[in-house]
Amino acid sequence: MAAQMLAGKGYKVVYNLSGGFKGWQGEAAFGAEEMGLELFTGDESPEKTLTVAYSLEDGLRDFYLTMIPKVKNDTVKNLFTKLAEIEVTHKDRLFDEYLAITAKTVSRVAFEKNTVKDVAEGGLTTKEYINLFQPSDWESESDIIGLAMSIEAQALDLYMRAAARSANPQSKKVLTRIANEEQTHLAELGKLMERI
Amino acid sequence: MRWKQFLTPVKSFDAVHARSYMADKSADDVTILDVRQPGEYKTGHIPGAKLIPLPDLADRLDEIDADKPTLVY
Repeated sequence: MAAQMLAGKGYKVVYNLSGGFKGWQGEAAFGAEEMGLELFTGDESPEKTLTVAYSLEDGLRDFYLTMIPKVKNDTVKNLFTKLAEIEVTHKDRLFDEYLAITAKTVSRVAFEKNTVKDVAEGGLTTKEYINLFQPSDWESESDIIGLAMSIEAQALDLYMRAAARSANPQSKKVLTRIANEEQTHLAELGKLMERI
Repeated sequence: MRWKQFLTPVKSFDAVHARSYMADKSADDVTILDVRQPGEYKTGHIPGAKLIPLPDLADRLDEIDADKPTLVY
């Protein structure tokens, strides 16, 4: 019904998802439209947006690192290490973009002083993630990839909602770019899942 | 009666087809539109989906880019 209406209103390409959300059988994001948006109120400058995003990636990296000594399986230890490294790459990318946007030269240490603590990607704390997704087996590689995919899905969702709300066109671009990166991460994790 | 909206063909995608369609696209290349109620959205939605409940859709079309492909559920 909605798809028909859009097509009738001049929307060029409209697809109806048969089976609706129940038929989706893929990664899902949870929570109300406003969830996590206390971090991105919509008024942030691109610099502030990048600082918050950096904090989220950093929180997730910390989470992966704290998991390494808690598991016994070496393959899963390596997986957590790899997941943490991906977040470092993403943090580097965000810092580079920050430097490109701000005219000032800022050291990484000075930049990190402005970051927010105790947040992870998607706007939930790592404790909240664990409660929400509850991997059935922390020693199982596929369960951990599943957890990481859930977190990336949540992050993608948060950045898309933040981009939709942002009143600053440049911040909107920054957020959209990060959302696209999260989608790439998600696709890569999906491929990794298929390989094991 | 505005017949055009009933005569315009709309393709249906199942989940597998929809996923492969979006696999090579960026998150902002396709609008994923969730027309369910906020309570259903809260329980679980496709990551990145935009929520506009069906009763509000006609009044909020300005929030969806008509030039982008839109996947509705």
